[in-house]
Amino acid sequence: MIEAWYIVVSFMLIMYVVLDGRNFGAGMLHWLVAKTPDERRQVVAAIGPLWSWHEVWLLSFGGTLLAVFPRLLASAFAGYYLALFLILWCFILRGMALEVGGHINDRLWQGFWDFVFVVSSFLLALLFGAAGGNVARGAPLDANGEFSMAFFTDFQVRGHVGLLDWYTVSVAVFAIVTLGAHGATYLTLKTEGPVHDRSESYAKRLWLLAIPLWMVVSVETWFVRSDLTAGELTNPAVWLGMLVILFSAYVLGTGLKNRREMRAFVGSNLLIAGLLATGAATIFPVMLHSTLAPENSLTAYNVASAPRSLYLAALWWPVALLFTAGYFIFISRRYTGKVSVNRDNQGFY
Amino acid sequence: MYHAASDPAFWSRLQFGFTITYHYLFPQLTMGLAWFLVWWKWRALRTGDETYNQATRFWAKIFGLNFAVGVVTGIPMEFQFGTNWAGFSRYAGGVIGQTLAMEGMFAFFLESAFIGALIWGEKRLGPRYHFLAAVAVATGSWLSGYFILVTNAFMQHPVGYLQSPDGSLGIDSLTAFLLNPWAMVQFAHNQLAALVTGSFVVTAVGAFYALREVHPVQSRLYLRTGTLVALISSILVAFPSGDQQAKLVGNHQPVTLAAMEGKFVGGPMAGVSVIGQPNVKERRLDNPIEVPGALSFLAYGTFQSYVHGLEEYPEDTWPDNIELLYYSFHLMITLGTLFILLMTYASFENWRGRLLTNRGLLWVLMLAFPFPYIANTLGWMTAELGRQPWLIYGLMHTRDGVSKVVSAGDMVFTLIGFTGLYFVLGLLFLYLVGREIAHGPEEALITDLPQEPHP
Repeated sequence: MIEAWYIVVSFMLIMYVVLDGRNFGAGMLHWLVAKTPDERRQVVAAIGPLWSWHEVWLLSFGGTLLAVFPRLLASAFAGYYLALFLILWCFILRGMALEVGGHINDRLWQGFWDFVFVVSSFLLALLFGAAGGNVARGAPLDANGEFSMAFFTDFQVRGHVGLLDWYTVSVAVFAIVTLGAHGATYLTLKTEGPVHDRSESYAKRLWLLAIPLWMVVSVETWFVRSDLTAGELTNPAVWLGMLVILFSAYVLGTGLKNRREMRAFVGSNLLIAGLLATGAATIFPVMLHSTLAPENSLTAYNVASAPRSLYLAALWWPVALLFTAGYFIFISRRYTGKVSVNRDNQGFY
Repeated sequence: MYHAASDPAFWSRLQFGFTITYHYLFPQLTMGLAWFLVWWKWRALRTGDETYNQATRFWAKIFGLNFAVGVVTGIPMEFQFGTNWAGFSRYAGGVIGQTLAMEGMFAFFLESAFIGALIWGEKRLGPRYHFLAAVAVATGSWLSGYFILVTNAFMQHPVGYLQSPDGSLGIDSLTAFLLNPWAMVQFAHNQLAALVTGSFVVTAVGAFYALREVHPVQSRLYLRTGTLVALISSILVAFPSGDQQAKLVGNHQPVTLAAMEGKFVGGPMAGVSVIGQPNVKERRLDNPIEVPGALSFLAYGTFQSYVHGLEEYPEDTWPDNIELLYYSFHLMITLGTLFILLMTYASFENWRGRLLTNRGLLWVLMLAFPFPYIANTLGWMTAELGRQPWLIYGLMHTRDGVSKVVSAGDMVFTLIGFTGLYFVLGLLFLYLVGREIAHGPEEALITDLPQEPHP
């Protein structure tokens, strides 16, 4: 049961990153791919009316994590206190930029909200990337399973590190580039005209840039968590994940090369999901590694709720998943096709 | 007694109190307005009268702005369970996490999938699906309220839980937890209060247009529907739902009831004070004007019923801010009574056909809309201050629920951040909503515009 819930919460977080990651990417590239006010509204329209549905994956992930792994949520959220509030404030800013940016047809108004959109998307990609780096590296968990971390300390690699150090910042850079490439791949699929052409060229360049960055991050991880890489080779789930990554990279690469935009986008989604799933499989059962003593680490087994709580949650959760898949299909089918500059923009479209 | 400096929970309580109070200004209108949109959309479908579509379109814009601010201010609430209340999450996450997860999975997914379609998708969806989008958003917003109230009801009156070997709480019976009698009464009371807010806002906009003599057809619709819903909901929010709520408090939290009423000494024939200032130090109510026996009757059914006084309980079980609790409760009751009187008079005038010409009444209706917001806030302050010093009644003290690893410096920093950000957000919201109201509902028929073919 605990293993199944580990898969469920990983799935929810991966869904969130894949879905909202493309919005972060579109946001970061907003100024680069769209030059005129009309093109900028086109990018927002391409993100579509489901961006808050994407964000709900994170909220539902948080709620489910609290229900099934309460001690993990309590330790991690309190320990990463300031970073989480920065993420929250960025969400507030991005949400307002998307919702009210198009409300008034005025150059200054829209220019201001475009700025807020770009900055908040960029910061969100950076913070989520750094968060990934921190989870991979671990936190100074004490015997009670608690910790508190400063934002930054002395920028050393070892010892008393903060949330932002050379390792986590390089993971954040990798996240920014990858999500930017993901967003560009999505905009290529979803737009036409000049925005499409610029997005296409960014998608190619950013995915190429992501490859060396991925290697740098992998080598760094090998130094930071040498204990992990040993276990990796004997874990069949990790090998499966590697295969998914290679396959999706092939799909993505050929899709971009042959201008098969849907194929490229599917590959892009799969690739990000594969990277994250492999990461989740690698660290299992540890959910938050202790940098002080391995026995302080929070594992899925020592943070889980009572078995009866897990069982009862397993009764309703799949029902809710079916419902939401239904809404998603219903709405998506009504918003298929490319977004142009000229279309009568009823808000999002 | 309460001393801010010595209480590690002080800053977390202040931040949660501030952010939740601010946040709830928005969902109460969302939940109140949602069924107006459904009703008008339904009337448009059935009668083909374009007036109803114009009303839906206009209110959907205000709904959308309100919804957006509600969403962005709601996300911090869920995060704070972990950031500021780690002790609480660690102890009760297995229970309260269930409803918070259900809120995301059942309610937020539904709302967020259809909100864009409701506000922008009228042409894309066609009238039937557009009506269904309104139903979906209304259902989602009420479901979300339900799950939050179940969570709060567990904190007020814990049921359906079990104690794990490690001391934390887990769910024993999902049905007992979800059908907590406290949650049922609180849900009825809270949703009716949201309808009071929604209907007062609709009425106020109608009165505004009527006084300026613009949008005559729309303003008549808003005034008529608004005052009718306002009358029904203000009566039901007091009786039976508010009355039942008070009885639950009397039966399960007698010390809270005593503090709400400023009753220091217990006894039969306990009165309800109309005026009076609690003097906690001297343990008495100063300058009291009481209706004798009223509290005994309201809380326990007969005038002779014994109402407990605060002095019967040890001081460390008293709510820690009796003064604020007392005023919150009494002002809520006063406002609720005024709402019933105002809307009875307005409905009478409407019945006599004088509502649109009685300018004095229109002025009052236009200016009355902030008061339901105040009454809703006071109601929540009564519930939450009254529960103190408990975080989960009888199980966990508030001071034990706080995150111990977070420094006061970090908490003050985030509280300042929220204050600044929410101030700007409030200005932005008022500006945009004011702009929509000044612009008013579209009188031109949108069907006359050239239609875009679907892709």
